[in-house]
Amino acid sequence: MAAAIETEGLSKDFAVGFWRPRPYRALDRLTLNVAAGEVFGFLGPNGAGKSTALKLLMQLLYPTSGTARILGRPVGDVAVRQRIGFLAENPYYYDYLTAEELLAYFARLFGYRGADVTTRVSRVLDEVGIGKERRLRLRRFSKGMIQRVGLAQALLNDPEVVFLDEPMSGLDPLGRRHVRDLILGLRARGCTVFFSSHILSDAETLCSRVGVLVQGRLVASGPLSEILAFELKGWELVVAGVGAALSPELAQLARSVTPLSDGHVMLHLAPDAEPDRLLGELTRRGAHIVSLNPVRETLEDYFVQVVASTAARDARGVGA
Amino acid sequence: MRTIWIVAGAAFKESVRDRVPYTMVVFAVLMIAASFLIGELTAGQDLKIIKDLGLAAMSIFGLGIAVFIGIGLVSKEVERKSVHGLLTKPVTRAQFILGKYLGLLTTLVVNLSVMTLAYYAVLLYMDSTATAAVRASWAAPALDPRQLAAIVLIMGELALVTAVALFFSSFSSPLLSAMLTLGLWVAGHFNGDLRQFEQVVDQPAVAWIARTLYYLLPNLAPFNVRAEVVYGMPVLASHLGFTLLYAAVYIAALLVAAVAIFRRRDFK
Amino acid sequence: MSGALASASSPRPSSRRLVVAVAALLVISIGVQVVRDRGWQPYEPATPVLWFQSGSLLQRLSLGFQNVVADTYWIRAVVYYGGKRRSALNGRDFSLLDPLLTFVTTLDPKFKVAYRFGAIFLTEAYPNGPGRPDLAVALLQRGLAATPTAWEYAHDIGFVYYWWLEDYKAAAHWFAKGGQLPGAPSWLAPLAATTLAQGGDRQSSRLLWSQLGESEIEWIRRNAQHRLQQLHAMDVVDELNRLSQRFTTREGRPARDWRDLIVGERLRGTPVDSTGVPFELDPATGRVDVSRGSALFPLPWPGRGGPPAP
Repeated sequence: MAAAIETEGLSKDFAVGFWRPRPYRALDRLTLNVAAGEVFGFLGPNGAGKSTALKLLMQLLYPTSGTARILGRPVGDVAVRQRIGFLAENPYYYDYLTAEELLAYFARLFGYRGADVTTRVSRVLDEVGIGKERRLRLRRFSKGMIQRVGLAQALLNDPEVVFLDEPMSGLDPLGRRHVRDLILGLRARGCTVFFSSHILSDAETLCSRVGVLVQGRLVASGPLSEILAFELKGWELVVAGVGAALSPELAQLARSVTPLSDGHVMLHLAPDAEPDRLLGELTRRGAHIVSLNPVRETLEDYFVQVVASTAARDARGVGA
Repeated sequence: MRTIWIVAGAAFKESVRDRVPYTMVVFAVLMIAASFLIGELTAGQDLKIIKDLGLAAMSIFGLGIAVFIGIGLVSKEVERKSVHGLLTKPVTRAQFILGKYLGLLTTLVVNLSVMTLAYYAVLLYMDSTATAAVRASWAAPALDPRQLAAIVLIMGELALVTAVALFFSSFSSPLLSAMLTLGLWVAGHFNGDLRQFEQVVDQPAVAWIARTLYYLLPNLAPFNVRAEVVYGMPVLASHLGFTLLYAAVYIAALLVAAVAIFRRRDFK
Repeated sequence: MSGALASASSPRPSSRRLVVAVAALLVISIGVQVVRDRGWQPYEPATPVLWFQSGSLLQRLSLGFQNVVADTYWIRAVVYYGGKRRSALNGRDFSLLDPLLTFVTTLDPKFKVAYRFGAIFLTEAYPNGPGRPDLAVALLQRGLAATPTAWEYAHDIGFVYYWWLEDYKAAAHWFAKGGQLPGAPSWLAPLAATTLAQGGDRQSSRLLWSQLGESEIEWIRRNAQHRLQQLHAMDVVDELNRLSQRFTTREGRPARDWRDLIVGERLRGTPVDSTGVPFELDPATGRVDVSRGSALFPLPWPGRGGPPAP
């Protein structure tokens, strides 16, 4: 599979301080390879350097060192922008243009002419769910609506690679659902999607691969299934109608017991608790099984653990 | 080239929808009000005052547009990050700068044309209501086409000021750009004094500095032929030609400098 | 680190060539200006109009920045005066000088230099100035009204009367008045008496200018030195005229050139004034005066005519 995005040792220093500027490393030797057709989730806490990396890929910033290529071409190549789409974080466009005019403007910059412009513009506006508001000037748009306009402009040229910086931010639950479906649609079309987020549930449902960036460094990357070992951490069992049936002897089998409403009770079981035996026992005593779920590690658990260990390592590094 | 024109078109549309049309309305109202009010004063001088006022207002309103909207088009775009959306399209940074400049220039041409029409309409009214005796007292005919030379030079000056604004906004914040541009505008008009200053001072070092500044700062004094025009003095074609040529060369220098800075910039 | 920089595939573009282009364009723009300025001078209407006809209006418009505006107008006045002095003879029109000075002193009534220099500018005879001692006296009197204790203004008024208007009575009056003001130098009161007794004589003029030659203001000092040089030149001219007259009486014809006087009157070579410019001998009359090309021209002869006939 050809690489859609490659970076090697990509670093960016910013000067901080006015009188005696000293370099502050926002991105530290990022080496990354995203294959064509992948949906890559670029994860990390706020300020980790995700936007910096994206701006380097868009050549809005020039790297301090390292290289970046998109579709096999250096990022400075204007021609490559013909084949990509980009949504900035908290995008802002022109107050005095309407959504339609803005997109027509961008469509012309992509080289489309005449009727092609109008059909493309109305198609992408439909795709992101902007209806008759498309004739309003953008200054009257809410943050969520602007976000949709931003998505629309990123899709205008049927891009081969789409870069989305925090695409879900500012959207209501319906909007998020919409964006999720859009990204899935892009994946189905064979488009490479590279998106940054600090919201992990999005990544979990969408990504084939993720990278985790902490304090400018890529601390982990790989397929989700690899990153999360899918280790069984235990069971959650909810039963109804137990009442007095739950003898202390049975309760001993569970790690903890939480009473829920309507006489439901949740039992947390150890991974080796053999739930079958317990289930049989409970049914025999007239209890009604509501649900039984395995508990596995989530991306969030993983994320918290990685961030914490990086911070700890840094603290040690400073101490030594 | 097509890309530049597309950027220019959007910049034109944006600025025309911003506050530019108001200036034209204010100008028209000012001209008409002045013509009625000053008509109450002594005859003879009123035409001169209308011309002074009209040409000065064109210059000042144009300056306002050139500075505030000109700066908004680039440095506001950088500050509010709309530049991120645009520069990730197949647009080079040079095309972006040149497109913005052309867009604003178009705005100024349209604006100045409308003001010129209003100006001549008021003069036509003055001309048609004047008696032969009043007309004889005028230094120049009301509808003297030579006034167009002054207006063309105002346009040249505004084109230069716009390039100055664009140059500053290629690297500094909107407020700072506005202040720097206005500062250079003032300096550019005192430039004529600088030339005389050089003749007055004795120290060769000071004279040398004055001469250097005279030649390097944008020299706006030659663009001002309003007094000549109002008094019916001829404006030499060679002066018009050289001044416009100067504008073109200086604008080119500013735009190239703006591109040189802008293409190396980081957009955080 | 440098190795990593070199391997960057999309480095910041170099703008060196663009910088060269900017420099080249600026050079061209200078060339265009030089050519244009050969055929162009900023236009001034024959009847110049100042935007503000009254200083008090300008004062109100200055919004509390009177002193800065006054300074600006003062610089403009100096540049205006200096620029006029350097311009071609037929273009010398000093008519804006007095209004400009009035602006300056209305905005900042304590602007000492503006009164004192302004008066000197105004009194200078055409073509070096507008030759308006009356306006100079009025300006200085306004200064004295604003600062009644400034003996310098009284002295300068007396001076204008003495030197330019040759009204020795008025001059003595103002010198005496100045001498009574606090801080006045001791020589000022006696000057009144001298002026009255020996009005117009070269010796009292020399005394007056020597006092000014001690001024703490450099420009006034230089001006005084210039006047002292002129007074000296007048002495020399008188002496040369005496020789020329003697030649005419003896030979029955005026001297044709300096050679006549060198041979006939034992003059040691062509006489030159203190600026190194030879004196001029009129072959028709034999009269001697400083050359028109000399910085000392014209000498302040009484009545502003020429050297008196011997």
